[in-house]
Amino acid sequence: MTRTVPERSSVSVTDPTRSTAPPAAASSHEDGAAVRSQTPRRRRRFGTPRTWVRGGGLTSLLFLLPMLLIFGAFSWYPIVRTVIMSLQHTNLVQPATWVGLDNFRTVLNDPLFPIALKNTGYFALLALIFGYPIPLAAAVLMSEARRFRGIYSALAYLPVVIPPVVAVLLWKTFYDASPQGVFNSILGWVHLGPYPWLQSQSWAMPSLVMESTWANAGGTIIIYLAALTGVNRELYEAAAVDGAGLWHKVWHITMPQLRGVLLVTLILQIIGTAQVFLEPFLFTSGGPTNSTMTIMLLIYNYAFGNSLGGDYGAATALSLMLAGFLALLSLVYLRVTRSWST
Amino acid sequence: MKSRSITGVVAALTAAGLLASCSSSGTKAASSGSPTAKTSAPAAEKVSISVASLLPGSTPAAVKQFQAQVAEFEKAYPTIKIKSEQYQWTGPTFAAKLAAGTLPTVFTVPFTDGRTLGENGQLADLTSQAKALPYFSKYNPQVIAEGTTSDGKVIALPTAAYAQALHYNRTLFKQAGLDPDKPPTTWDEVVADAKQITAKTGKAGFAEMGKNDNSAGWILTTLAYSLGGRMETGTGKASKATLNNDKTKQALQILHKMRWDDKSMGSNFDYGWSDINQAFSAGKVGMYVSGSDVFNSLVSTDKIDASIYGLSTIPIASDPNAGVLGGGTLAAVRPDAKDAEKAAAVKWIDFYYEQPLVDQQGAVRNAQTLKASNQPVGTPALPVFDKAQYDLANTWIKSYINVPQAQMKSFTDNVFGQKLAAEPAASTQSVYHALDTVVQAVLTQQGANIDSLLQSANDSAQSAISQGK
Amino acid sequence: MATTEARLLTDRQAPDTALVSSADWRRPAVRYGLGGAHIVLLVLLFVAGLGPILWLAKAAITPTSDTLSTPMALFPHGGTFDNLRHAWTDLRVGRYFWNTVVLAFGSWLCQIVVATTGGFALSILKPKYASIITGLLLTTLFVPAIVLLVPLYIEIVHPPVVHHSFVNSYWAIWLPAGASAFNVVLMKRFFDNLPREIFEAARVDGASGFRMFFSITLPMSRPILGVVSIFALLASWKDFLWPLLVLSDTNGQPLSVRLPAIQAQTELGVFLAALFLASIGPIIGFLIFQRSFLRGSGLSGAVKG
Repeated sequence: MTRTVPERSSVSVTDPTRSTAPPAAASSHEDGAAVRSQTPRRRRRFGTPRTWVRGGGLTSLLFLLPMLLIFGAFSWYPIVRTVIMSLQHTNLVQPATWVGLDNFRTVLNDPLFPIALKNTGYFALLALIFGYPIPLAAAVLMSEARRFRGIYSALAYLPVVIPPVVAVLLWKTFYDASPQGVFNSILGWVHLGPYPWLQSQSWAMPSLVMESTWANAGGTIIIYLAALTGVNRELYEAAAVDGAGLWHKVWHITMPQLRGVLLVTLILQIIGTAQVFLEPFLFTSGGPTNSTMTIMLLIYNYAFGNSLGGDYGAATALSLMLAGFLALLSLVYLRVTRSWST
Repeated sequence: MKSRSITGVVAALTAAGLLASCSSSGTKAASSGSPTAKTSAPAAEKVSISVASLLPGSTPAAVKQFQAQVAEFEKAYPTIKIKSEQYQWTGPTFAAKLAAGTLPTVFTVPFTDGRTLGENGQLADLTSQAKALPYFSKYNPQVIAEGTTSDGKVIALPTAAYAQALHYNRTLFKQAGLDPDKPPTTWDEVVADAKQITAKTGKAGFAEMGKNDNSAGWILTTLAYSLGGRMETGTGKASKATLNNDKTKQALQILHKMRWDDKSMGSNFDYGWSDINQAFSAGKVGMYVSGSDVFNSLVSTDKIDASIYGLSTIPIASDPNAGVLGGGTLAAVRPDAKDAEKAAAVKWIDFYYEQPLVDQQGAVRNAQTLKASNQPVGTPALPVFDKAQYDLANTWIKSYINVPQAQMKSFTDNVFGQKLAAEPAASTQSVYHALDTVVQAVLTQQGANIDSLLQSANDSAQSAISQGK
Repeated sequence: MATTEARLLTDRQAPDTALVSSADWRRPAVRYGLGGAHIVLLVLLFVAGLGPILWLAKAAITPTSDTLSTPMALFPHGGTFDNLRHAWTDLRVGRYFWNTVVLAFGSWLCQIVVATTGGFALSILKPKYASIITGLLLTTLFVPAIVLLVPLYIEIVHPPVVHHSFVNSYWAIWLPAGASAFNVVLMKRFFDNLPREIFEAARVDGASGFRMFFSITLPMSRPILGVVSIFALLASWKDFLWPLLVLSDTNGQPLSVRLPAIQAQTELGVFLAALFLASIGPIIGFLIFQRSFLRGSGLSGAVKG
């Protein structure tokens, strides 16, 4: 049994949507449990209410009830509401009116929209450049450590444990732009700076990304570490017998075996960064001069940022556009990458 | 979301009723007043209301002082129970609280928003209760107009008025070799003094709010006014935005020179209203512009060492239009408040905010309580009633005054000679917000193109004005 | 699952058949190169992972003026516990900490109830319509949370049936937290892997659904309950935007909402002390339950895919 937790789990989770499932799901083995679950079970018929109850129908319903109520009220219904609200104009005081696609037009004509789009893309790109290779390299290196492996992962994971709000507020202190700021003091030791950090249109976004990478890299490292334990070690042995060097093994054994996880974390990271909110909200409120205005912040501002009442229509319209874009992106991504993984 | 509207005689209750049925109370007001058209509840019935108390983060002494006021009030009105909630008006949070119905029964809004909120039916109609106040006719007409809608409903009562002022750090002035009793009186002097302070002390000579929560635009408007500029002409939705006037440009150039040529503005440019108070109290700022009554907050939340504090008037240019931007605070009531709650709310407004201004006993009581907790008494303001009443009230509390009045002399001696100008009337917050971006650009980008920035700010302000946003 | 779990944990005794074999290790280039890289990595991790927290701890007991003028100096004018004391008493960090705990506990409970009962029904009881519900659950996995923000907020403010605003009520946090499809799916997947024979045998013996749930399923689910619990608690501890919107009464707010609100009015040293106090809880929790944290985190990335 060499299958790992990650692979097994991904098979099952994505099972019912296998057509769009990431590559890991396409792995060939059906494991024992899945087979077992397909053994014939007792037939239950919806005859009379009594046979239904006796057949366990009521019990099933009772067990499903908490889930149905909670998801109905707080997930399915709001999703439908979003679609409706995006076509309406409402200020919560007067009755809502149907306005067709006006809200979408409002958003598309908002001069802030292209800025937010560009900034969100920029954040995602920077986050990818900082946040994608670093955890991977760290994880590969860490998995080969012979001592203190627990300490490595504990240290790497520690920032993830700090509440994000605390992390941002702490880094805001670090980013103090005066020469007495924390980072500027440290860089001052090697005669660099002082740098403006959050106080400059060109520095603000990279500063946000740096904090975000610090806060999130640990989680990614741990995912890679878990995946690395699933790499088939016999391949290493075989390669070692063939006299393959270390780099050769990294590139030709480790990386290909991690491909499934790498592809998944990539799309997850893109989806996550496209919804970045906390950092621009708490660090800069979108400034200076909208240089950190992101899509999420724009949605928030539409709905909650105006002292005279929110534009809920525009907010929901933009949410839908973002969700649609991400869904499309994931679909295309999965289509394209499926062929690479086998 | 249908309203089972209150069948009231008071016309405005309809609007309030709509909100009432939608946003049922998050703050549990004792449901004493039945929704009938009674003008006031019987005296025996208990009413409980929540009131905005102090800024979040106030010192324990300030909280103690407030609780003492509440106790006094409850003694005077045994049927009214007061629950206090820390409260700070900020643009972004106000709308959410309003929509969610989580505002306290009595809260404050700046002059900037009072009328618009009132016109939108988002504040309770206080006309009958307010007009019953014995001093109602004595309000300064310009000031009470801020709390009156176009159809004559009183939706808020003015509690304080201020003029924008220049706050400066006397200690830094001394360290820089400047005379702390002779603060600058022209913008050229401000620029020169700021440069000298930075050169001698390394601190920011002049700091400016730069946060895009409308505070940056507010201060830029102050500077432009003082040079003779105005942000709008006309009235209502027909107003014309004039953000890109020469005086605004001149104000931005002054900022640009201090920021980039003299480098006398320090290194932080995203101060909001509270942040800059804190930085000033910590001695990091030589001069900054904010309302004349900010000293109260510097004491109650920022524990300023009063000996560093200096207050002066904003330098006014020789232009005939040049004036000082004024503003103030209004006390308002939740739109869904029932009659009994409204009556209690106005009693509280009367007791806590207005009595100290009009009644000797109230003024003394207020001053005593404040002084007992080492809270400031005697911070300069502008008259809510008339100048004579303002001076009179100040003589009542003379023996309690504990603010360093000598350090505020340049302000108190000169402010009444200044031409007072009101905030831009149409879409005020949108105008400020449009200007936020311009200020941020000038402070964070050396090559910022002031002309094109102002032009696009003007466009977005104009579109907000036309849409009545 | 138990075996892989054990694997993850025992991996710390580096097996010989790793990427870098013992033979590799014997080569000086590898030994010194890799050894050096490991030392560099350890130092970097130490600085990046622990550095900020140590600095925060230091700042929490340093007078504000020192932190402002010489942030990197170590107690130039001695330490003080004033900041921590002020943070605890004046800022009432203790109270907000407690609020955070209560919110996290309620959200956890709601998530566990929904996930275990739902997962049990979908996996073990399997009514005919189970596949439809599972499908609906899975679609919500693809909908970003942001889509729900505005309608959910309005729903809390003006609930459709109850006509009583849930703003400032903890139910507004607890109940929506339960709508985590990820948890249900995780749970269902685990139940799918439990040996069917046990349930068949129980059924033959006439055990009711409830008995199967409480006496068979739950006792066998401890590992997955731990994982879901950690996800639930961490998520609740980190939540910011939602409590910001629906908890406007300052007395009931959690730390994540309160800290940004008081920053501007709070002296830096006291504020940093408050930040420090706010991070202690999760850090201690992590140190105690380190293995579960790391296992859960490793699992999460894979399962989300």
